Amino acid sequence: MDRLKGLFALVLITAGIFGALRIVHVSIPLVFPQTRQGPIEVASLDDVRRLAGFSPLLPAYRPAILGDRPTSMTFSFHPRPTFVIVWRAGDQYLSVTQQQGGPMPPHPPLAQPLATVPDATWWTDGVRSQVIVARGEFWIRIDTSLPPRDLTRLVDTLTAY
Amino acid sequence: MTYLWQVAVHSAVMGAIFYAWVHRVDLPSGRTKRHLLMLLLVLPLVTAAVPGRSDGAFGERLAWFDSVRVADVPLVSGVHLYHVAWLLGGLMTILTIWQEVLPSFRHPHATTADVPEWLWPLVRGRAGWAQCTVAVSPLPSIMLATAGWPGRATLIVSRGALAALSAPDVSLAIAHEHAHWVEGRWWKSHLLFLARLLQCYHPTALWAFREYCIEEEIACDAVAAAGRDPATLVRILLQVYKETDPRDVAARGALRKRVDVLMSGGPQDAALPPATIIAAAGLMLLVLPWIV
Repeated sequence: MDRLKGLFALVLITAGIFGALRIVHVSIPLVFPQTRQGPIEVASLDDVRRLAGFSPLLPAYRPAILGDRPTSMTFSFHPRPTFVIVWRAGDQYLSVTQQQGGPMPPHPPLAQPLATVPDATWWTDGVRSQVIVARGEFWIRIDTSLPPRDLTRLVDTLTAY
Repeated sequence: MTYLWQVAVHSAVMGAIFYAWVHRVDLPSGRTKRHLLMLLLVLPLVTAAVPGRSDGAFGERLAWFDSVRVADVPLVSGVHLYHVAWLLGGLMTILTIWQEVLPSFRHPHATTADVPEWLWPLVRGRAGWAQCTVAVSPLPSIMLATAGWPGRATLIVSRGALAALSAPDVSLAIAHEHAHWVEGRWWKSHLLFLARLLQCYHPTALWAFREYCIEEEIACDAVAAAGRDPATLVRILLQVYKETDPRDVAARGALRKRVDVLMSGGPQDAALPPATIIAAAGLMLLVLPWIV
Protein backbone atom coordinates (compact mmCIF):
# COMPACT_ATOMS: atom_id res chain seq x y z
CA MET A 1 0.00 0.00 0.00
CA ASP A 2 2.99 2.33 0.46
CA ARG A 3 3.31 2.49 -3.31
CA LEU A 4 -0.07 4.27 -3.38
CA LYS A 5 0.41 6.31 -0.22
CA GLY A 6 -2.02 9.22 -0.02
CA LEU A 7 -4.30 7.95 -2.79
CA PHE A 8 -7.14 6.96 -0.46
CA ALA A 9 -7.37 10.53 0.82
CA LEU A 10 -7.53 11.78 -2.77
CA VAL A 11 -10.34 9.37 -3.63
CA LEU A 12 -12.30 10.45 -0.54
CA ILE A 13 -11.85 14.15 -1.31
CA THR A 14 -12.79 13.61 -4.97
CA ALA A 15 -15.91 11.72 -3.89
CA GLY A 16 -16.82 14.50 -1.46
CA ILE A 17 -16.39 17.30 -3.99
CA PHE A 18 -18.24 15.34 -6.68
CA GLY A 19 -21.04 14.68 -4.19
CA ALA A 20 -21.33 18.39 -3.49
CA LEU A 21 -21.34 19.17 -7.22
CA ARG A 22 -24.12 16.64 -7.78
CA ILE A 23 -26.24 18.26 -5.08
CA VAL A 24 -25.76 21.63 -6.82
CA HIS A 25 -26.54 20.04 -10.21
CA VAL A 26 -29.82 18.60 -8.95
CA SER A 27 -30.96 21.42 -6.69
CA ILE A 28 -30.42 24.47 -8.94
CA PRO A 29 -33.19 23.48 -11.42
CA LEU A 30 -35.58 23.07 -8.48
CA VAL A 31 -35.17 26.78 -7.77
CA PHE A 32 -34.45 27.99 -11.33
CA PRO A 33 -36.09 25.54 -13.78
CA GLN A 34 -34.88 27.53 -16.79
CA THR A 35 -31.26 26.62 -16.00
CA ARG A 36 -31.81 23.12 -17.38
CA GLN A 37 -30.38 22.88 -20.87
CA GLY A 38 -32.69 20.18 -22.15
CA PRO A 39 -34.04 18.47 -24.10
CA ILE A 40 -36.10 17.43 -21.09
CA GLU A 41 -38.47 14.47 -21.43
CA VAL A 42 -41.91 15.53 -20.26
CA ALA A 43 -44.56 13.07 -19.14
CA SER A 44 -47.68 15.14 -19.75
CA LEU A 45 -48.86 18.30 -21.50
CA ASP A 46 -49.52 19.83 -18.09
CA ASP A 47 -45.78 19.53 -17.40
CA VAL A 48 -45.13 21.63 -20.49
CA ARG A 49 -47.34 24.40 -19.17
CA ARG A 50 -45.60 24.21 -15.80
CA LEU A 51 -42.08 24.17 -17.25
CA ALA A 52 -42.50 26.57 -20.16
CA GLY A 53 -45.23 28.83 -18.90
CA PHE A 54 -47.19 28.48 -22.15
CA SER A 55 -49.81 26.08 -23.44
CA PRO A 56 -48.78 23.69 -26.21
CA LEU A 57 -50.48 24.19 -29.58
CA LEU A 58 -51.54 20.85 -31.03
CA PRO A 59 -53.34 19.93 -34.25
CA ALA A 60 -56.83 18.63 -33.44
CA TYR A 61 -56.69 16.71 -36.72
CA ARG A 62 -54.58 13.61 -36.35
CA PRO A 63 -55.14 10.56 -38.54
CA ALA A 64 -55.98 7.47 -36.51
CA ILE A 65 -53.03 5.63 -38.10
CA LEU A 66 -50.67 7.67 -35.86
CA GLY A 67 -52.32 6.43 -32.67
CA ASP A 68 -53.82 8.36 -29.79
CA ARG A 69 -50.80 8.91 -27.62
CA PRO A 70 -47.63 10.76 -28.63
CA THR A 71 -44.44 8.68 -28.73
CA SER A 72 -42.28 11.46 -27.31
CA MET A 73 -42.59 14.89 -25.76
CA THR A 74 -39.48 16.97 -25.04
CA PHE A 75 -38.87 20.52 -23.95
CA SER A 76 -35.73 22.71 -24.18
CA PHE A 77 -35.12 26.09 -22.59
CA HIS A 78 -32.16 26.90 -24.85
CA PRO A 79 -31.55 28.63 -27.14
CA ARG A 80 -35.32 29.38 -27.14
CA PRO A 81 -38.07 27.69 -25.15
CA THR A 82 -39.10 24.91 -27.52
CA PHE A 83 -41.59 22.07 -27.17
CA VAL A 84 -41.46 19.06 -29.52
CA ILE A 85 -44.21 16.41 -29.66
CA VAL A 86 -44.02 13.39 -31.94
CA TRP A 87 -46.56 10.73 -32.95
CA ARG A 88 -45.05 7.77 -34.72
CA ALA A 89 -46.47 4.45 -35.99
CA GLY A 90 -44.28 2.42 -38.30
CA ASP A 91 -43.18 4.64 -41.20
CA GLN A 92 -45.82 7.26 -40.48
CA TYR A 93 -45.04 10.15 -38.20
CA LEU A 94 -46.11 13.64 -37.23
CA SER A 95 -43.83 16.03 -35.37
CA VAL A 96 -44.89 19.44 -34.08
CA THR A 97 -42.20 21.86 -32.83
CA GLN A 98 -43.34 24.97 -30.97
CA GLN A 99 -40.66 27.63 -30.52
CA GLN A 100 -41.25 30.73 -28.43
CA GLY A 101 -39.88 33.89 -30.07
CA GLY A 102 -36.72 34.23 -32.12
CA PRO A 103 -36.32 34.38 -35.88
CA MET A 104 -38.28 32.16 -38.26
CA PRO A 105 -36.80 28.63 -38.23
CA PRO A 106 -34.68 27.79 -41.28
CA HIS A 107 -36.47 26.66 -44.42
CA PRO A 108 -35.33 25.97 -48.00
CA PRO A 109 -35.40 28.83 -50.55
CA LEU A 110 -37.97 27.01 -52.66
CA ALA A 111 -40.51 26.93 -49.82
CA GLN A 112 -43.75 28.70 -50.73
CA PRO A 113 -46.75 30.26 -48.97
CA LEU A 114 -49.46 27.83 -47.99
CA ALA A 115 -52.66 28.74 -49.85
CA THR A 116 -55.56 29.89 -47.63
CA VAL A 117 -53.34 30.04 -44.49
CA PRO A 118 -51.59 33.37 -43.80
CA ASP A 119 -48.06 33.40 -42.35
CA ALA A 120 -47.45 29.78 -43.38
CA THR A 121 -44.58 28.47 -45.54
CA TRP A 122 -44.43 24.90 -46.75
CA TRP A 123 -42.23 22.55 -48.74
CA THR A 124 -41.61 18.88 -49.34
CA ASP A 125 -38.45 16.86 -49.00
CA GLY A 126 -38.90 13.38 -50.45
CA VAL A 127 -41.80 11.82 -48.57
CA ARG A 128 -41.59 14.49 -45.84
CA SER A 129 -43.95 17.44 -45.88
CA GLN A 130 -43.14 20.43 -43.72
CA VAL A 131 -44.74 23.71 -42.85
CA ILE A 132 -43.78 26.65 -40.66
CA VAL A 133 -46.53 28.91 -39.39
CA ALA A 134 -46.53 31.93 -37.06
CA ARG A 135 -49.03 31.84 -34.20
CA GLY A 136 -48.76 34.84 -31.90
CA GLU A 137 -45.31 34.80 -30.29
CA PHE A 138 -44.67 31.23 -31.48
CA TRP A 139 -43.23 29.56 -34.54
CA ILE A 140 -44.89 26.20 -35.20
CA ARG A 141 -43.07 23.75 -37.41
CA ILE A 142 -44.91 20.65 -38.56
CA ASP A 143 -42.92 17.83 -40.09
CA THR A 144 -44.83 14.75 -41.25
CA SER A 145 -44.90 11.76 -43.54
CA LEU A 146 -48.59 12.47 -44.22
CA PRO A 147 -49.39 13.75 -47.74
CA PRO A 148 -48.91 17.51 -48.41
CA ARG A 149 -52.67 18.03 -48.71
CA ASP A 150 -52.95 17.32 -44.95
CA LEU A 151 -50.71 20.28 -44.05
CA THR A 152 -53.52 22.83 -44.40
CA ARG A 153 -55.80 20.77 -42.21
CA LEU A 154 -53.09 20.29 -39.57
CA VAL A 155 -52.39 24.03 -39.46
CA ASP A 156 -56.04 25.01 -39.50
CA THR A 157 -56.81 22.83 -36.49
CA LEU A 158 -53.95 24.00 -34.25
CA THR A 159 -55.49 24.51 -30.83
CA ALA A 160 -54.04 25.41 -27.46
CA TYR A 161 -54.07 22.50 -25.01
CA MET B 1 -15.85 29.24 -26.31
CA THR B 2 -17.36 26.05 -24.91
CA TYR B 3 -13.90 24.47 -24.77
CA LEU B 4 -12.42 27.43 -22.90
CA TRP B 5 -15.31 27.33 -20.42
CA GLN B 6 -14.79 23.59 -19.94
CA VAL B 7 -11.07 24.10 -19.31
CA ALA B 8 -11.86 26.69 -16.62
CA VAL B 9 -14.46 24.45 -14.95
CA HIS B 10 -12.25 21.33 -14.99
CA SER B 11 -9.32 23.36 -13.72
CA ALA B 12 -11.39 24.81 -10.88
CA VAL B 13 -12.71 21.39 -9.80
CA MET B 14 -9.28 19.75 -10.07
CA GLY B 15 -7.71 22.70 -8.25
CA ALA B 16 -10.20 22.35 -5.38
CA ILE B 17 -9.55 18.59 -5.15
CA PHE B 18 -5.76 18.93 -5.23
CA TYR B 19 -5.78 21.86 -2.82
CA ALA B 20 -7.79 19.87 -0.27
CA TRP B 21 -5.62 16.79 -0.86
CA VAL B 22 -2.32 18.65 -0.43
CA HIS B 23 -3.58 20.07 2.87
CA ARG B 24 -4.97 16.71 3.99
CA VAL B 25 -1.68 14.85 3.47
CA ASP B 26 0.31 17.92 4.56
CA LEU B 27 2.40 17.77 1.39
CA PRO B 28 5.74 19.58 1.73
CA SER B 29 7.48 21.51 -1.03
CA GLY B 30 9.35 19.36 -3.51
CA ARG B 31 9.08 17.33 -6.69
CA THR B 32 5.70 15.79 -5.80
CA LYS B 33 4.12 19.20 -5.41
CA ARG B 34 5.65 20.39 -8.68
CA HIS B 35 4.25 17.37 -10.48
CA LEU B 36 0.77 17.98 -9.08
CA LEU B 37 0.90 21.63 -10.18
CA MET B 38 2.07 20.54 -13.65
CA LEU B 39 -0.89 18.15 -13.84
CA LEU B 40 -3.22 20.94 -12.76
CA LEU B 41 -1.98 23.16 -15.59
CA VAL B 42 -2.04 20.51 -18.30
CA LEU B 43 -4.78 17.93 -17.58
CA PRO B 44 -7.80 20.29 -17.90
CA LEU B 45 -6.65 21.10 -21.45
CA VAL B 46 -6.98 17.37 -22.18
CA THR B 47 -10.15 16.47 -20.28
CA ALA B 48 -12.03 19.47 -21.69
CA ALA B 49 -11.25 18.21 -25.20
CA VAL B 50 -12.89 14.80 -24.70
CA PRO B 51 -15.42 14.74 -27.56
CA GLY B 52 -19.17 14.11 -27.48
CA ARG B 53 -19.92 16.30 -24.47
CA SER B 54 -20.80 19.63 -26.01
CA ASP B 55 -24.51 19.16 -26.73
CA GLY B 56 -27.24 19.87 -24.20
CA ALA B 57 -28.36 16.24 -24.17
CA PHE B 58 -25.08 15.12 -22.57
CA GLY B 59 -25.36 17.79 -19.89
CA GLU B 60 -28.99 16.88 -19.27
CA ARG B 61 -28.83 13.10 -19.26
CA LEU B 62 -25.27 11.84 -18.73
CA ALA B 63 -23.19 14.53 -17.07
CA TRP B 64 -22.55 14.27 -13.36
CA PHE B 65 -22.48 18.04 -13.10
CA ASP B 66 -23.60 20.58 -15.71
CA SER B 67 -21.84 23.88 -15.04
CA VAL B 68 -24.16 25.69 -17.46
CA ARG B 69 -26.93 25.31 -14.88
CA VAL B 70 -24.85 27.32 -12.41
CA ALA B 71 -23.74 29.83 -15.05
CA ASP B 72 -27.35 30.39 -16.09
CA VAL B 73 -28.60 31.27 -12.61
CA PRO B 74 -30.28 34.69 -12.86
CA LEU B 75 -29.09 37.47 -10.57
CA VAL B 76 -30.68 40.89 -11.04
CA SER B 77 -31.97 42.93 -14.01
CA GLY B 78 -31.35 40.23 -16.61
CA VAL B 79 -27.81 39.62 -15.35
CA HIS B 80 -26.83 35.97 -15.01
CA LEU B 81 -23.87 34.35 -13.28
CA TYR B 82 -22.21 33.79 -16.65
CA HIS B 83 -22.02 37.59 -17.09
CA VAL B 84 -19.99 37.71 -13.86
CA ALA B 85 -17.82 34.86 -15.17
CA TRP B 86 -17.16 36.79 -18.41
CA LEU B 87 -16.23 39.88 -16.42
CA LEU B 88 -13.86 37.87 -14.24
CA GLY B 89 -12.35 36.23 -17.34
CA GLY B 90 -11.76 39.65 -18.92
CA LEU B 91 -10.12 40.99 -15.76
CA MET B 92 -7.92 37.91 -15.49
CA THR B 93 -6.78 38.32 -19.11
CA ILE B 94 -5.88 41.97 -18.52
CA LEU B 95 -4.06 41.00 -15.32
CA THR B 96 -2.09 38.30 -17.16
CA ILE B 97 -1.05 40.67 -19.95
CA TRP B 98 -0.08 43.37 -17.48
CA GLN B 99 1.72 41.24 -14.91
CA GLU B 100 3.14 38.36 -16.95
CA VAL B 101 3.28 39.03 -20.69
CA LEU B 102 4.42 42.67 -20.80
CA PRO B 103 7.22 42.18 -18.21
CA SER B 104 8.68 39.40 -20.35
CA PHE B 105 9.31 42.01 -23.08
CA ARG B 106 10.83 44.52 -20.66
CA HIS B 107 14.43 43.43 -20.12
CA PRO B 108 16.24 45.30 -17.38
CA HIS B 109 18.62 47.86 -18.78
CA ALA B 110 22.05 46.23 -18.61
CA THR B 111 25.43 46.53 -20.27
CA THR B 112 28.07 43.94 -21.05
CA ALA B 113 30.76 46.53 -20.38
CA ASP B 114 32.22 46.94 -16.87
CA VAL B 115 31.70 43.28 -15.95
CA PRO B 116 34.14 42.47 -13.14
CA GLU B 117 36.81 40.02 -14.29
CA TRP B 118 36.26 37.73 -11.30
CA LEU B 119 32.65 37.15 -12.41
CA TRP B 120 33.48 35.39 -15.69
CA PRO B 121 34.91 32.13 -14.29
CA LEU B 122 32.02 31.90 -11.82
CA VAL B 123 29.61 32.00 -14.74
CA ARG B 124 31.35 30.27 -17.63
CA GLY B 125 32.73 27.50 -15.47
CA ARG B 126 29.23 26.08 -15.10
CA ALA B 127 27.91 23.23 -17.23
CA GLY B 128 26.33 24.51 -20.46
CA TRP B 129 27.26 28.11 -19.73
CA ALA B 130 30.61 28.27 -21.56
CA GLN B 131 29.08 30.82 -23.95
CA CYS B 132 26.96 32.62 -21.37
CA THR B 133 26.96 36.39 -21.65
CA VAL B 134 27.14 38.49 -18.51
CA ALA B 135 25.61 41.94 -18.24
CA VAL B 136 25.57 44.43 -15.39
CA SER B 137 22.41 46.32 -14.57
CA PRO B 138 22.66 49.74 -12.88
CA LEU B 139 19.94 48.76 -10.36
CA PRO B 140 20.99 49.62 -6.78
CA SER B 141 19.03 46.67 -5.36
CA ILE B 142 20.16 43.04 -5.20
CA MET B 143 19.07 41.40 -8.44
CA LEU B 144 20.29 38.41 -10.41
CA ALA B 145 18.32 37.19 -13.39
CA THR B 146 18.77 35.27 -16.60
CA ALA B 147 17.43 35.80 -20.10
CA GLY B 148 17.82 34.19 -23.53
CA TRP B 149 17.58 30.63 -24.75
CA PRO B 150 19.38 27.41 -23.85
CA GLY B 151 22.84 27.74 -25.39
CA ARG B 152 22.47 31.55 -25.54
CA ALA B 153 21.91 32.46 -21.93
CA THR B 154 22.58 35.88 -20.47
CA LEU B 155 23.14 36.43 -16.78
CA ILE B 156 22.20 39.88 -15.53
CA VAL B 157 23.70 41.04 -12.24
CA SER B 158 22.80 44.33 -10.64
CA ARG B 159 25.35 46.81 -9.30
CA GLY B 160 23.50 46.52 -5.99
CA ALA B 161 24.23 42.78 -5.90
CA LEU B 162 27.91 43.30 -6.72
CA ALA B 163 28.17 45.90 -3.97
CA ALA B 164 26.20 44.10 -1.27
CA LEU B 165 27.30 40.49 -1.79
CA SER B 166 30.71 38.93 -1.36
CA ALA B 167 32.19 36.85 -4.19
CA PRO B 168 31.12 33.52 -2.52
CA ASP B 169 27.61 34.93 -2.09
CA VAL B 170 27.46 35.95 -5.74
CA SER B 171 28.72 32.49 -6.67
CA LEU B 172 25.87 30.97 -4.64
CA ALA B 173 23.32 33.23 -6.32
CA ILE B 174 24.75 32.31 -9.74
CA ALA B 175 24.46 28.63 -8.80
CA HIS B 176 20.77 29.26 -8.13
CA GLU B 177 20.28 30.99 -11.50
CA HIS B 178 22.23 28.25 -13.27
CA ALA B 179 19.96 25.60 -11.72
CA HIS B 180 17.04 27.10 -13.68
CA TRP B 181 18.82 26.10 -16.92
CA VAL B 182 19.66 22.48 -16.17
CA GLU B 183 17.71 19.21 -15.86
CA GLY B 184 15.10 20.50 -18.33
CA ARG B 185 13.80 23.16 -15.92
CA TRP B 186 13.97 25.93 -18.51
CA TRP B 187 11.91 23.93 -21.00
CA LYS B 188 9.43 22.72 -18.40
CA SER B 189 8.77 26.18 -17.01
CA HIS B 190 8.43 27.74 -20.48
CA LEU B 191 6.08 25.03 -21.75
CA LEU B 192 4.00 25.43 -18.62
CA PHE B 193 3.99 29.18 -19.17
CA LEU B 194 2.48 28.50 -22.60
CA ALA B 195 -0.17 26.27 -20.99
CA ARG B 196 -0.76 29.06 -18.50
CA LEU B 197 -1.16 31.66 -21.28
CA LEU B 198 -3.76 29.44 -22.97
CA GLN B 199 -5.66 29.65 -19.67
CA CYS B 200 -5.02 33.35 -19.07
CA TYR B 201 -8.72 33.99 -18.39
CA HIS B 202 -9.23 31.87 -15.28
CA PRO B 203 -7.77 32.27 -11.81
CA THR B 204 -6.92 28.63 -11.07
CA ALA B 205 -4.22 28.62 -13.76
CA LEU B 206 -2.81 31.89 -12.42
CA TRP B 207 -2.60 30.44 -8.92
CA ALA B 208 -1.20 27.09 -10.09
CA PHE B 209 1.51 28.68 -12.24
CA ARG B 210 2.61 31.05 -9.48
CA GLU B 211 2.77 28.17 -7.03
CA TYR B 212 4.81 26.21 -9.58
CA CYS B 213 7.23 29.13 -9.98
CA ILE B 214 7.76 29.29 -6.21
CA GLU B 215 8.35 25.53 -6.15
CA GLU B 216 10.89 25.95 -8.95
CA GLU B 217 12.70 28.61 -6.94
CA ILE B 218 12.73 26.25 -3.95
CA ALA B 219 14.15 23.46 -6.12
CA CYS B 220 16.86 25.77 -7.47
CA ASP B 221 17.65 26.97 -3.93
CA ALA B 222 18.19 23.33 -2.96
CA VAL B 223 20.56 22.76 -5.91
CA ALA B 224 22.50 25.94 -5.11
CA ALA B 225 22.74 25.18 -1.39
CA ALA B 226 23.74 21.54 -1.86
CA GLY B 227 27.01 20.84 -0.04
CA ARG B 228 27.01 24.29 1.56
CA ASP B 229 25.57 25.84 4.65
CA PRO B 230 21.97 26.81 3.74
CA ALA B 231 22.23 29.69 6.18
CA THR B 232 24.31 31.58 3.58
CA LEU B 233 21.51 31.46 1.04
CA VAL B 234 18.98 32.28 3.76
CA ARG B 235 20.99 35.38 4.60
CA ILE B 236 21.02 36.48 0.94
CA LEU B 237 17.27 35.89 0.62
CA LEU B 238 16.62 37.90 3.76
CA GLN B 239 18.68 40.76 2.33
CA VAL B 240 16.50 40.65 -0.78
CA TYR B 241 13.42 40.46 1.45
CA LYS B 242 14.40 43.64 3.27
CA GLU B 243 14.83 45.46 -0.04
CA THR B 244 11.48 44.29 -1.43
CA ASP B 245 8.64 46.79 -1.31
CA PRO B 246 6.33 45.78 1.61
CA ARG B 247 3.38 46.35 -0.73
CA ASP B 248 4.64 43.51 -2.93
CA VAL B 249 2.97 40.92 -0.71
CA ALA B 250 3.33 38.08 -3.25
CA ALA B 251 7.09 38.53 -3.72
CA ARG B 252 7.71 38.80 0.02
CA GLY B 253 5.49 35.78 0.67
CA ALA B 254 7.47 33.74 -1.86
CA LEU B 255 10.77 34.78 -0.26
CA ARG B 256 9.47 33.84 3.19
CA LYS B 257 8.44 30.44 1.94
CA ARG B 258 11.85 29.84 0.34
CA VAL B 259 13.56 30.77 3.61
CA ASP B 260 11.21 28.51 5.59
CA VAL B 261 11.95 25.53 3.33
CA LEU B 262 15.71 26.12 3.47
CA MET B 263 15.58 26.42 7.27
CA SER B 264 13.57 23.21 7.59
CA GLY B 265 16.05 21.08 5.69
CA GLY B 266 15.08 21.74 2.05
CA PRO B 267 12.38 20.30 -0.20
CA GLN B 268 11.21 16.70 0.10
CA ASP B 269 11.23 15.30 -3.39
CA ALA B 270 9.73 11.92 -2.57
CA ALA B 271 6.82 12.99 -0.35
CA LEU B 272 4.45 10.76 -2.33
CA PRO B 273 5.40 7.77 -4.51
CA PRO B 274 5.29 8.21 -8.31
CA ALA B 275 2.54 5.55 -8.51
CA THR B 276 0.27 7.81 -6.45
CA ILE B 277 0.85 10.73 -8.81
CA ILE B 278 0.13 8.54 -11.84
CA ALA B 279 -3.01 7.17 -10.15
CA ALA B 280 -4.11 10.73 -9.29
CA ALA B 281 -3.70 11.76 -12.94
CA GLY B 282 -5.64 8.67 -14.05
CA LEU B 283 -8.43 9.40 -11.59
CA MET B 284 -8.76 12.97 -12.86
CA LEU B 285 -8.74 11.79 -16.48
CA LEU B 286 -11.50 9.37 -15.58
CA VAL B 287 -13.82 11.67 -13.62
CA LEU B 288 -13.41 15.18 -15.05
CA PRO B 289 -14.99 14.47 -18.46
CA TRP B 290 -18.27 13.79 -16.63
CA ILE B 291 -18.35 17.45 -15.70
CA VAL B 292 -19.48 19.80 -18.46
